[in-house]
Amino acid sequence: MSIGLKATMRREVGRLSSRRIYLFSMVLVPVLMALFFVDLLGPGLPLKIPSAIVDLDHSPMSRSISRSINSTELIDITQKLESYDAAMDATRKGEIFGFFIIPANFQSDAIAGRTPTLEYYTNMTYFVPGTLAYKGFKTVAVGTAGSMVRTTLVSAGADPATVGSLIQPLSVDIHPIGNPWTNYSYYLTPSFLAGLFALMIMLVTTFSITTEIKYGTSADWLATARGRMSVALFGKLIPQFVIWVVASMFMLSLLYGYRHFPMNGSMWSMVAATSLFVVASQAMGVLFASIVPNPRLSMTLAALTGILSFSFVGFSFPVQSMYGAIAIFSYLMPVRYYFLIYINEALNGVPLYYSRWFFVALIAFPFVCSMLIGRLKKACLQPVYVP
Amino acid sequence: MKKVFKKIWTWLSDMTAVFCNEWKIVGHDAGALLFFLALPLLYPITYTLIYNPEVVQQVPVAVVDESRSPASRQFVRDASAAPAVDVAGYAANMNEARRWMAEGKVYGILRIPSDYASNIASGRQSTIEFYADMSLLLRYRALLSAVTDLQLKQTADITAGRLDATGLSATGMAKMPIDSHHSFLGDPEQGFASFVMPGIVILILQQSMLLGICLIGGTSRERRVRNGGIDPLMIDSAPATASIWGKTLCYVVLYIPMTMYVTTCIPEMFNLPHYGSATQYLPFLLPMLLATAFLGQALLPIMKERESAFLIIVFTSVVFLFISGLTWPRYAMNGLWTWIGNIIPATWGVEGFIRINSNGASLSENAHPFMALWILSAVYFLCAWWASVWIRVRTARS
Repeated sequence: MSIGLKATMRREVGRLSSRRIYLFSMVLVPVLMALFFVDLLGPGLPLKIPSAIVDLDHSPMSRSISRSINSTELIDITQKLESYDAAMDATRKGEIFGFFIIPANFQSDAIAGRTPTLEYYTNMTYFVPGTLAYKGFKTVAVGTAGSMVRTTLVSAGADPATVGSLIQPLSVDIHPIGNPWTNYSYYLTPSFLAGLFALMIMLVTTFSITTEIKYGTSADWLATARGRMSVALFGKLIPQFVIWVVASMFMLSLLYGYRHFPMNGSMWSMVAATSLFVVASQAMGVLFASIVPNPRLSMTLAALTGILSFSFVGFSFPVQSMYGAIAIFSYLMPVRYYFLIYINEALNGVPLYYSRWFFVALIAFPFVCSMLIGRLKKACLQPVYVP
Repeated sequence: MKKVFKKIWTWLSDMTAVFCNEWKIVGHDAGALLFFLALPLLYPITYTLIYNPEVVQQVPVAVVDESRSPASRQFVRDASAAPAVDVAGYAANMNEARRWMAEGKVYGILRIPSDYASNIASGRQSTIEFYADMSLLLRYRALLSAVTDLQLKQTADITAGRLDATGLSATGMAKMPIDSHHSFLGDPEQGFASFVMPGIVILILQQSMLLGICLIGGTSRERRVRNGGIDPLMIDSAPATASIWGKTLCYVVLYIPMTMYVTTCIPEMFNLPHYGSATQYLPFLLPMLLATAFLGQALLPIMKERESAFLIIVFTSVVFLFISGLTWPRYAMNGLWTWIGNIIPATWGVEGFIRINSNGASLSENAHPFMALWILSAVYFLCAWWASVWIRVRTARS
């Protein structure tokens, strides 16, 4: 290790420990965010959705339907209302996320073959509870119809053994690979935490570089590195890298060790991917600082890409469904490749071979992003602070 | 009596002076203008463009047809007719299909077993297997509902045929004895932009205002430290309350057109669900703007320099998005997160605005969030008061 590198690293450790903002954004934020997501989304699915039932029939059959709705894990009947209007009012007030209507004369119509209609409404302005309430209501509505047919057919003289295949001649076995519980936390926690890490890494990297320019210490920084920009950057970013890796290993152990998130591949490739991801995000920070060697502008760039990447990287809405001109940006972000490696390695457990290009992309970031450091060096030698 | 009037008059003129001065400060600060104007103008457009395709369609699916019968081919044709499904090809066996999935070519595998056609023909139950990639909830959901609809349709067809064959159709049971009908409220097409944007625009209002206030505050703090506790650009002679109100009015006045824009123009431009009108949005969101302006000024003691806002405020957008209940409903949160949500203005703003904008609620049906926002305004005003006194004392001492 060259003397310049050692001296720069020592200098950087001193700088990192002299300001509380580094402790806050490199240790406190990542750790608290990991705990936040793990705890908030801990239950996996928001079960027992507050809902209402509007029973206009008040017959044994309608009461039996109410009971079976309330006994599903998805629905919690919090209100029993007497009209559609009352149920809509409760929905608009946000008290319930859906309601189920049993029409008047339901039982007599059903028995007489007059085909009454069960109606159910779900509030899709809240996507997850709306979807789950819909699922719960639908299961009961379809199940009620099925059991009616069964009863009628048997009483009409059909063989009870063949009635089952008559009612449901085709069944579909759904196999959700890697997440059979459809645990919502498995979708959101690893991806959003990675996005948060990328955001904080890019911000801190640009901050730590451009703040040297702001306070006119950049010439001293370069001098410590014996005038070589690459040594100066290595000396600055290696101590930060160590802190980020420790923080991200805490995140990995919290997810896969403590909370048993699906890990169907090898933990070591996730560890390797996480380390490469940290370096790639740091490289993005260096790139922003080189494009605009000014604290506010480079941090604006970092914040802009960091926050937008939560959306266009496709954590929730698939990149394949976006407009092409927007989808292309997702491939410019390290977190996209990290996310794809997470899916392949942790969730699906496919051989490492299928993730090879994602690893190559992560490795390529530092090389591509360091192309402009000549520009950064010039700015460091003649520091000008523009507020 | 005269004295009281004089005092009020001095207070008002102080406040007006601060108000005018704050306009000047904001107008001369490119960073603040970026946060106050460019961010609320451009972010909503960017976000909506990302999510504007609304629904997930044409998800590639592999078919493993071991039955190779007219019935199985009919099933695949019906499947590919579903908007969510795009049959990417027939795989020779499960191994090949799994390889396609690992390569990211398909996100689902439909396996039709060899006894599919014979089971249907002989009146037994046949089973189809569907393997779904779980990397994204929206994709899984689109495929799942397509497959479920397909199953119901096929079931109805097959059952009708069999009942005819057994002669039981005479009992009138060829059709279901009970019908069911469902409606989606608020976001009838279940589009993703329609669901997420009403919440996001409100969050953008709060976060951009906080960032701007903290940027201006951090810059002023640097000047104070340089000048022995005095900021030459601020009117320090004004009492703290007049100074806070003057600044707050400046920010709120600036944000009224922004609020109009994100609540009215954005949904109109992108054809999102859009009930209510500005006469409902503005009165509802006014206390949120006030509470946010006060909250921003209450945070100033921790903004030591101009760039602090980036490190302290930006990441909270993600936290506030989750805590507002948009992605994870608030009823399922534990006490701690519910309480943190309660003290964030945007939580109530998002909740109320979604109800007005998507569910067509009135202001009176939003009484609860409306009251909460006014209480937050009062609390954060007191915090901002304390903060502004603290900063003057603290910077003068150091």
